Amino acid sequence: MLSYHQKSFLIVDDFSDFRSSVRSMLRELGVKDVDTADSGEQALKMCAQKSYDFILQDFHLGDGKKNGQQVLEDLMMEKLISNEAVFVMVTAETSQAMVLSALEHEPDAYLTKPFNRVGLAQRLERLEQRKTLLKPILQALDRGKPVEVLNACIALCKQDIRYSPLCLRYRADALRDMNQNEALERLYDSIIADRPLPWAFAGLGKLLFRRGQVAQAKGVYEKALKVFPMMPALYDGMADVLVAEGDTKGAQKVLEEAIRLSPLAVRRQALLGKLAMTNEDFDTASRAYRQAVAQGAQSRFKDPESNLGLAHALISKGSEKGLDTRTRLEINTTLSAVAKENPSDPGLQIRARLMKATSLLLNDAETAEKLTEQALMRLDGMEQFMSPEAALLVAKQLQMLGQAEAGTSMLKSCAEIYGDDPAVMKDIAKLTDDPTILSSSNAAADLNRQGVRVYKTGNLAEAREVFRKALKMQPKNISIALNMAQSLLHGTDTSVPSAELEECRACLKTVGLMPDTDARYPRYQKLKSKAFGE
Amino acid sequence: MNQDEQALDFSTVIASTVHDMKNSLAMLMQAHSQWLARLPEAERQVPEQGVIDFEFAHLNGMLVQLLGLYKLGVNQMPLQPAYHELDDFIEAQLASHQEVFASRGIIATYEVDPLSPLGFFDRELIASVLGNCINNAIRYARESLLITVSDEAGQLVLSIHDDGPGYPAEMLERQADYVQGINHSSGSTGLGLYFAGRIAALHQRNGVGGRTEIRNGGPLGGGVFSIYLP
Repeated sequence: MLSYHQKSFLIVDDFSDFRSSVRSMLRELGVKDVDTADSGEQALKMCAQKSYDFILQDFHLGDGKKNGQQVLEDLMMEKLISNEAVFVMVTAETSQAMVLSALEHEPDAYLTKPFNRVGLAQRLERLEQRKTLLKPILQALDRGKPVEVLNACIALCKQDIRYSPLCLRYRADALRDMNQNEALERLYDSIIADRPLPWAFAGLGKLLFRRGQVAQAKGVYEKALKVFPMMPALYDGMADVLVAEGDTKGAQKVLEEAIRLSPLAVRRQALLGKLAMTNEDFDTASRAYRQAVAQGAQSRFKDPESNLGLAHALISKGSEKGLDTRTRLEINTTLSAVAKENPSDPGLQIRARLMKATSLLLNDAETAEKLTEQALMRLDGMEQFMSPEAALLVAKQLQMLGQAEAGTSMLKSCAEIYGDDPAVMKDIAKLTDDPTILSSSNAAADLNRQGVRVYKTGNLAEAREVFRKALKMQPKNISIALNMAQSLLHGTDTSVPSAELEECRACLKTVGLMPDTDARYPRYQKLKSKAFGE
Repeated sequence: MNQDEQALDFSTVIASTVHDMKNSLAMLMQAHSQWLARLPEAERQVPEQGVIDFEFAHLNGMLVQLLGLYKLGVNQMPLQPAYHELDDFIEAQLASHQEVFASRGIIATYEVDPLSPLGFFDRELIASVLGNCINNAIRYARESLLITVSDEAGQLVLSIHDDGPGYPAEMLERQADYVQGINHSSGSTGLGLYFAGRIAALHQRNGVGGRTEIRNGGPLGGGVFSIYLP
């Protein structure tokens, strides 16, 4: 009897003929436990209920539905399948599906339609064998223990050196998770020197970029794109590099290339929209954001920022005479979705209303005024911090809508929260000449820098005093508050109540209102879990 | 610069039609095998069945090749190399032709050098080359077909042997012309050699590209097709 006959199977395909045909093949092979699903959504539900050993997933499940790649990503991110499970992507045309696949979430195998019973049996038998061979590695992966993954790889290679190429990817991912950057770089280099693999190039580029070695990362991506010009993930990495170098036009071109290869990618489309807005290419921006919104509907990467971006791009594209009916309708639809789907997010409610008011400024001043009033009322009671980009756009739109005062107070609060970031201050300067705002954060930022210097010398008491002074000037400044909290936690026993702990918790509570997209959010979470013992 | 407004060129029309034909053929093959499964044993083993299976596989192979040639033409042939277990890979290619082997009474075997169990290549592309070659070998083989995998000076060599009459002398002499696309007169076999040569050449290592070779002889005494991958 075949080794997989007692395993559980899930067949996912939108054609009932195909489902029943594969089901009967499996039955003939002695498999008893076979379930079927006709969509990715249903498959996800079923995988949440039952853990399957084999999933045979059709790649193309119809327009407007999750495709097989998205199902695989969701299954992995939600941890609905074990690493020991076998995921087979079934396609009519495999090379295309491979281009669309993300390098970090690859299926165990591709199976090209049509296939016969013998062909299916052969693949299943082999995949089962492969998984058995790699079992110790896969189990360590399921436990989330990179050190054990590494040890399992070493053990397997010792047992049979011929299989060491199969371990390369697991070894690299484990080193990455353990932050063993030097060893990881050496491994990537040796892989690339022997046999260039696309994931090794992408991994090396990412590693160098993360460590601030932008020029080296660029070199890696340039070399990689010569060998693998059809690999969208490599273009993404190149775009990151170009953005870091300030070449937003070049980055846009590179992303457009990636999208030509693989248009079904919500995050890539949204990023292209953002870049095109920076480059004032409103046609490309609206097209990209439109795609991001449409594709996002079925994706875990659905993001109201794309809706707002689409509306912003369409407004920016408009002429002096205002917007045509069709454009206004599209703006209305996309913004209504934001307001409806995020009832408890005051920032999004305000931004959607102001965006819509701006779009109606020339054609329907009355409604624009009503929406602005609603936004102002909500703005009054809002505690959450907006991201600098969002806050500055709100300030600009308030100015356009004749609410100069509200605009100024928005700029003031933005300067308080983000004033230590020169890039944000530069953008604020585009919207106001008011010296009280533009110089408002200088003193606090100076003190903050001084505090960091003192902290590094180890003089904790003085560092705290300096941060305290800075925070008094700008109580909502994220950098200062985090530095204050860290200096207070340093050397403080968090298991007993103390004045330091109280003070620390209070400033973390204030900056806890920052957007979770902020680069400092992970640092905040770490400090928070220390201070609150969670 | 608006590419959407350009009239479609003929090769794109052909390619999208071929794509639909391939899907259509897949449905046809599937329906046929389901229908076959419901027939009593005696009615399944008819000579026509061998013809149907062979021509199904042949049609599918030609369509895959046609799509491949189109992609080569527009430079959209992505190379996605990875390490693959060779015995698994060869078994999979033989399994997909199982019905034809059975109905034609051909015994297909393979030998993999146990010292190099893994190969580095694009599974999909090499599978399409092998699929065509197996199909071709079936046409000429009398009763046996052998696939060997070996290592020659660091290059992976996949060879398909048959016990048929072998390639005509003229073809052996002018194989370089076929690979270069100069001579296509012998129809599908010539085109197949061209396709295989291009795919082999896509596989490169340290400036050395892959290649193909046809000859006669070998352990089965018939035609031998080999693809060398660096």
